[in-house]
Amino acid sequence: MSGKEFFVRRYRELGWTYNEFESKPSIRINTMNAKKTDVVKRLESLGIVLEGIPFLENGFWVRKSEFSVGATTEYLSGLYSIQEAAAQIPATLFTGLENKTVLDACAAPGGKTVQLADLMQNTGVIIALDVRGRRLSALSNQLERCRVRNTTVYLLDARESSRLNMKFDRILLDVPCSGNYVTDRGWFSRRTIEDVKKNAELQRQILAEAFNVLEANGEIVYATCSLEPEENELNIDWAIKTLNLEIEEIDCQGEKGLTSVFGSEFDSSIENCRRIWPGETQGFFVCKLKKRESL
Amino acid sequence: MKPIEDFVSRLKASISLDENLIVKKENRYFLINERLRSQIQKDFFYAGAYLGKVKGGIFFPSFILLAMIAEGKANKIMVDHRTAWLFICGRDVFKQGILDVTGSRRKGDYTLILTQRNECLGFGKISSNIGEEGDKSKVIVKNISDIGDFLRREKRRAR
Repeated sequence: MSGKEFFVRRYRELGWTYNEFESKPSIRINTMNAKKTDVVKRLESLGIVLEGIPFLENGFWVRKSEFSVGATTEYLSGLYSIQEAAAQIPATLFTGLENKTVLDACAAPGGKTVQLADLMQNTGVIIALDVRGRRLSALSNQLERCRVRNTTVYLLDARESSRLNMKFDRILLDVPCSGNYVTDRGWFSRRTIEDVKKNAELQRQILAEAFNVLEANGEIVYATCSLEPEENELNIDWAIKTLNLEIEEIDCQGEKGLTSVFGSEFDSSIENCRRIWPGETQGFFVCKLKKRESL
Repeated sequence: MKPIEDFVSRLKASISLDENLIVKKENRYFLINERLRSQIQKDFFYAGAYLGKVKGGIFFPSFILLAMIAEGKANKIMVDHRTAWLFICGRDVFKQGILDVTGSRRKGDYTLILTQRNECLGFGKISSNIGEEGDKSKVIVKNISDIGDFLRREKRRAR
């Protein structure tokens, strides 16, 4: 069970018609390092044409640039980051991040870690984990370039977060996922439904461990760039039925989460998740969960 | 701590760093705050603000440390836009690109290289006394380290 035809048919069954889309370049201004208007002016003076992304406060589409936006003094000085538009959404969904203790459980290469630090204005603490040692260098470079000061990085599997003996107010789960065809040209020829199921199981294990290290009333933002319901709605339905978590309403780009998939019915609160089909952005799924207070 | 202090003094600068908040991981130094200190565990990979590393007995400062030094009194050379870009590309600084000099003008001293917006791009070693009459295309500062290194690191990693 693989191949383009198989997945495209699934998407049709889920109510979406497949189309080819290109990933659009976008940036996010690091307001901890510079004023947004100043950075925009500086980039425009270099001939870069920007357009504000309507659903993001600090995000901009790069409509035109004669050179790579990763090769400017402003980029190298950490005034902005290159970050896909949908990927900028999850970190913005937390409430009151300043001075909080935050876990970024699958952090490399660090785009969202920097965004969290930016939203926290370098206050509080971020613990950033990744299980792949080689990717920690990329993460560290991002932190150095963007002058992040509130983050400690560990080489650690998110499924072993308890080993830190810490509790977190906020947890970002940008979990490893199957990805989608917009950002991965060979996606259809490489992926099978077995991959999807394997990733979904890994994601559940990460969710369960995140729940263990989350403070009461704490928030988890769960995100994938997968279109497959096994990694999205099914996992969240499992999480709210198995763990003491509830779904919070969020106000962001995207359609309501699916409450009926391939004949299975889910909890109605799943519609508070957001599913972004490819179009203006890559495909994405995001959901905010809150830990209920213990009885 | 000593490698950092020695480096800072070579720029004729002084910065105040609380020794209790500096942690060392193998050959790398980090500046943390009280909150990070209360939670940090010995097997961390990176923490707080990276200050630099010692390799082969030489201290290599981070760009965070250079930016911190640039905020205070130090040897600094402000360069024009074109020179700033060439410096980021790993090139040396020529006399004609210099707009302003603060601190040492003496051959052999270290100096920070700044943009016209006072943003630190890196540092280098003064290779000819500044202010002496001479060819405008003469190299004045030999590039030692510049922020273009972030791109070079990414390229190395991609290989």
